[in-house]
Amino acid sequence: MGPRSKDLSLLQVENNVEDDADDVIDDASEEEESESEQEDVKLMEPSKTAIYNREGLVEKLEDISWPENVDWMHKLCLDIDQEKEVDVNDDLARELAFYTQALEGTRLAFDKFQSMGLPFLRPPDYYAEMVKTDAHMQKVKGKLLAQKRQIEEAEERRKAREAKRIAKEVQAEKLKERAKQKKQEIEEVKKWRKQRQQSGFKDGKDSMPDLGFEDGKAFERSSKKRPGVSPGDRSGGKAKQGGGKGNNKNKKNREFRDSKFGFGGKKGMKKQNTAETTNDFRAFNKGGAAGNKKRKR
Amino acid sequence: MGKKRKHSETQAVEPKKKDEGAPERPKRTLMGWKDKEEVQTQTDSNPESPQFFRNKEKVMVTCSRRINYRYRHLMLNLVSLLPHCKKDNKVESRSSKGATLNELIELRGCSSALFFECRKHQDLYMWMARCPNGPSVKFLVNAVHTMEELKLTGNHLKGSRPLLTFSSNFEKDAHWKLLKEMIIQIFGTPKEHRKSKPYHDHVFVFSIVDDHIWFRNYQISVPHNESDKMVRGGLDKMTLVEVGPRFCLNPIKIFAGSFGGPTLYENPFYVSPNQIRALEKRKKAGKYAKKVKAKTRRKMHEQSNPLEPDEFADMWRE
Repeated sequence: MGPRSKDLSLLQVENNVEDDADDVIDDASEEEESESEQEDVKLMEPSKTAIYNREGLVEKLEDISWPENVDWMHKLCLDIDQEKEVDVNDDLARELAFYTQALEGTRLAFDKFQSMGLPFLRPPDYYAEMVKTDAHMQKVKGKLLAQKRQIEEAEERRKAREAKRIAKEVQAEKLKERAKQKKQEIEEVKKWRKQRQQSGFKDGKDSMPDLGFEDGKAFERSSKKRPGVSPGDRSGGKAKQGGGKGNNKNKKNREFRDSKFGFGGKKGMKKQNTAETTNDFRAFNKGGAAGNKKRKR
Repeated sequence: MGKKRKHSETQAVEPKKKDEGAPERPKRTLMGWKDKEEVQTQTDSNPESPQFFRNKEKVMVTCSRRINYRYRHLMLNLVSLLPHCKKDNKVESRSSKGATLNELIELRGCSSALFFECRKHQDLYMWMARCPNGPSVKFLVNAVHTMEELKLTGNHLKGSRPLLTFSSNFEKDAHWKLLKEMIIQIFGTPKEHRKSKPYHDHVFVFSIVDDHIWFRNYQISVPHNESDKMVRGGLDKMTLVEVGPRFCLNPIKIFAGSFGGPTLYENPFYVSPNQIRALEKRKKAGKYAKKVKAKTRRKMHEQSNPLEPDEFADMWRE
């Protein structure tokens, strides 16, 4: 044990005594631990058994370092000042700090290179092997595009939802307006009639109310264009559509029934018993179960 | 191979070194052949000429057996980042690890080594050592993100020399200075290396935060129409895109010898991951015992303080 203790005393210039693992574990369990990262816990107080041989470190540094007068071009190292303390757990701030450090360093290096007149950046026509393969970069590109598309689609969906809501509101407003108008007009007519009654039905044209339906415009067709639709067409113009891929009679049947009973047909003339509609067999199954179904074949 | 150059002997050793590095043949001039002595006197006159310094650094990169896939990819990423490295086979032995590794390094003729050791398929330790009798450092590696992650979108030339940036707190203490020097020598590509490419299009960031060394690798990208040599306005539009990999080093110990030797520095805040796991298990283990204890305590308490008979206990009884 004698020579060994001498070695120890030689090594530890500071006062620390070499300790074994048990004490360290005791230290750790006594003190509070703070989680700094995944699976990385730091002792709150420094363990008192740590060795710090400053002179040895400095000596080794001098051993390995390159001679002082070596050109900066060999080392290419830059020291960037870090102004404020960065919290380790704040990812964004930490990454930002690294980014600014790199940017600063690049700017300094760029200035140095410019002053020395050496090429710095890669010219766009220089093709050489890259650290990541082209296939990998394709994957990266694909992922970026997919992300962008997702964002755009979400935007569009949101806009459509908004637009629908607004359209609905506008429609409600319009309906209200119309109802109000109608009510107003009826009131006006009533008032006029009362007036006429009171004044004894003798007035001429001068007391005629200004009613909106006197223009003769109401007998015109509404300005909504439905080209290709005749007035007597109950299907609303959709019976003539069809063809394309599914040209079987079921499709036709379906389409006809849709236009007759579904949405989008011509308003107001849906169910009329005229000569045309009596012989209209478009909705019926042609040559199907002809005759009595109950009779055995 | 690499003669250890002490700082005090720089002046004396330099001229001799220059002879070995300088061309063997005497210089040829119009008047005839310049003699070697003349060459020597010429170079002696400016003894501080750094042009005969050649960075002959070679790094050997290996790993232990039973290494994880993520750490293996990290190692391969580093191999592709350092053109002056040699990748070696997996190292098996557990005991006498230091001796084996030292022999391997000598065999391959390298001057430094990066050894990735994976324990329990979970923890990665990285050794950074300088071969002949230089210092060596053991780190615990955390927060590993390899280059294959699709979120790291940058790319750069394979083998181009990186710019190394260090945060200013590397100068604060002796052990950080030593680490900085080792990092410069290992991660910096030698200037006229065979596999190095001429331009500089990526930056390494080494930064000390919370007593850990964080590593990042960024690609320097400048919009294309101005990527001339003599760009002036392009400086403002320069952006950095992260290439990866990313990792965080926690220094554990610094040894004076290669993979062994007397300890020069020990991190006082370091807790080994085994201890962390053990502590967590102990915390969990205590749960059941605590519950049982609490139960018995409650029972004793109830027995010692009996309740008064309740007036309304029979109210709802049929």
